[in-house]
Amino acid sequence: MRTSIALPFVVAFLVALLGVAPIARAQHDSTAHDTTAKSMPGMSGMSGMSGAADTSGMQGMTGMRRVGARADSGMPVPMPPGMMMMPGLMGLVPPGGSFVPGKGMDAARVPAAEPTRILRMKSGDTLDLTAGLVRRTINGHTFVAYGFNGEVPGPLLRVPQNATIVVRFHNRIDLPSSVHWHGVRLDNRSDGTVGVTQDAVAPGEDFTYTVHFPDAGVYWYHPHVREDIEQAMGLYGNMLVDSPDPSYYGPVNREEALMLSDLLINADTLVAFGGDGPNFALMGRVGNVLLVNGEPGYTLHVRRGEVVRFHLTNVSSSRTYNLSFGPKVEMKVVASDVSRFEREERISSVVIAPAERYVVDVRFPSAGRFALVNAVQAINHLRGEFQPEVDTLGAVTVASAPATPDYARQFAMLRANAAVSRDIDRFRPYFDKPPDERLTLTVQARGLPLATVQFMTVDTAYFAPVEWVDGMPDMNWLSASKQVRWILRDDATGRENGDIDWHVKRGSIVKLRIFNDPRSFHPMQHPIHLHGQRMLVVSRDGVRTRNLVWKDTAIIPVGSTVDLLIDASNPGAWMLHCHIAEHLGSGMMAVLHVDP
Amino acid sequence: MRVAGRFATRGITRASLALVLLAAPGPAGPFDIALFAAPATPEAHGHARLVYAASPFGIAVTPDGRSSYDVQITAEDLRTPAALGAYTTYVAWSVTPDLRAWHRLGTIGNGVTTVGHAEENKFLLVITAETSPTAPHAGPTVLHGTSPSGWLQSFLSHPLFRGQVQ
Repeated sequence: MRTSIALPFVVAFLVALLGVAPIARAQHDSTAHDTTAKSMPGMSGMSGMSGAADTSGMQGMTGMRRVGARADSGMPVPMPPGMMMMPGLMGLVPPGGSFVPGKGMDAARVPAAEPTRILRMKSGDTLDLTAGLVRRTINGHTFVAYGFNGEVPGPLLRVPQNATIVVRFHNRIDLPSSVHWHGVRLDNRSDGTVGVTQDAVAPGEDFTYTVHFPDAGVYWYHPHVREDIEQAMGLYGNMLVDSPDPSYYGPVNREEALMLSDLLINADTLVAFGGDGPNFALMGRVGNVLLVNGEPGYTLHVRRGEVVRFHLTNVSSSRTYNLSFGPKVEMKVVASDVSRFEREERISSVVIAPAERYVVDVRFPSAGRFALVNAVQAINHLRGEFQPEVDTLGAVTVASAPATPDYARQFAMLRANAAVSRDIDRFRPYFDKPPDERLTLTVQARGLPLATVQFMTVDTAYFAPVEWVDGMPDMNWLSASKQVRWILRDDATGRENGDIDWHVKRGSIVKLRIFNDPRSFHPMQHPIHLHGQRMLVVSRDGVRTRNLVWKDTAIIPVGSTVDLLIDASNPGAWMLHCHIAEHLGSGMMAVLHVDP
Repeated sequence: MRVAGRFATRGITRASLALVLLAAPGPAGPFDIALFAAPATPEAHGHARLVYAASPFGIAVTPDGRSSYDVQITAEDLRTPAALGAYTTYVAWSVTPDLRAWHRLGTIGNGVTTVGHAEENKFLLVITAETSPTAPHAGPTVLHGTSPSGWLQSFLSHPLFRGQVQ
């Protein structure tokens, strides 16, 4: 078959004839399904962690959209409203085969996922952590998924700062696996990075990790093997590390740990994953069902004036969120990946990229119902237009009874964290030094369908700095990791990805400049994560960061140049990679060696 | 079932097509704006760069998801405003593509000036001479450009379909 160069014209013409519906959808009525939050043993107030209970029959589910692939097209991926699959792609499948967890198993014989438990641990404690098969039902679709200790998310580990625990990991899923302790500056041998610090743990095998928590804050754990499958299917959990300082944060009435994720479900079931490697390699898998703690329709009930601390973790494969509760609800951001901010700041929404964490204090001033929404600007690539897109992840219901105690006064204050600034002071003399290393982010593709190549090459006049949604899921689905190579390129040597061989001495302060090249086949933002160290984003596009915070993951928009200052204090071989799971699975990783 | 990779070498040479398209006129990146002189001031020239407004999240967006940018404007060879009439200053505006809404960004002069914030999805960047820094827009345009997002277009108008790329 010879595909004409005029094919996209035909597609565009047909779409123009059909008309393109706005993306904002009627089902986003911000009416969250009202499930009774499950109380968490041992942790008052963590009521939002409702785990993965059966949600079948939840009509009008919030966060659900685009469900309904056309069965006759052979295209299993739901298209955005008003968009159609390109005719030149119909009947194609991504190379490399497909995979779904527990393939061939009767889901009914698999135990249902359980709600998350809070495990308060002290130094010296041992945890048995088992990755296993669980049954989940989302919006009426029942499928086999994964969970840690039968839970989605996995157990929430609450530990004191400077504690050391032992985790006996047992892999009982149908893929090799491991556990990475994201953001934790721990001993390199326990980092969980397959191919760098350990071999994959085969199904049925075990591995023991020693996890030391030197920094207070919110962290998370997940596999470092086929994250596009294992993480997406439920293998993730939070760790809250408590400072011994009781005033480390300001006072709040309750805490909520929210893990944000999405699933891609069509009219029938889950969209299958790539077999030999990730599919959706171009921009990562962007789900059409938005989940909080593994479930759609997050709910929380609070009292009027209550101040809630949300520990937010984005565990999605690719999606970056822009979250808010609406204009009547005040928010302030308190902390991020590895520390508090120098100064608390008022915010109107929370932008959180994959793998990032933010600690956000929210005060609900009046009785009523406040939807938690993700509001972004999607791009209609055929019409060349922006279209607002709003998804409702859940809602907070505020009773008229007043909160006690009343923390309104404390919430109104924006604290300056002098200890954070003092800690950063010794790094300030290095802010303006020349970069020690430079990376360029780019991509190569070969073997993609011609229709995809034509479409994407004509769409090069503008790339958004951040792609918030997948506007071309058909082309994205058909791109596999064997066709797409995402690249970290060392400017000094020209070496790429695993061939990069950086060595620095322990105690070094390394300035890494990263440029996300917009002149490539498909530029996209990348949340770059460095294992085992902490870093400061000291500038973006030449503009100094005014309010610093220690990070382990930083988003690099298309066309941006970002300077990171790395506190290379933890010896070992540490992976640096994009945290879009499919980009990592398409090669986008390097190793930084911190020599003793 | 066909496998996507089997299309790999058919049709036009993809690399050559990509090179031509990537070399086509357009913004250097999603943050760069070329400024063009108005007929009344042909000697004026400049460019602008969009920089995310300060944000604890690194990228600044409004609650409904629009990017929020400071605009770094570099202008050269601007005459004194009085040379154009009863004007005292130059003002930068972000303007909706239909020219209905003019949002004042700030005053500028020759050299580099940062003004803000521009928060429209697509906008025109317009520099005008005005009678005061706070006056409503009324004066003549001296420089203008289009936000990079303005290049986002329907495929129906792409050079590929106007026969400019073979």
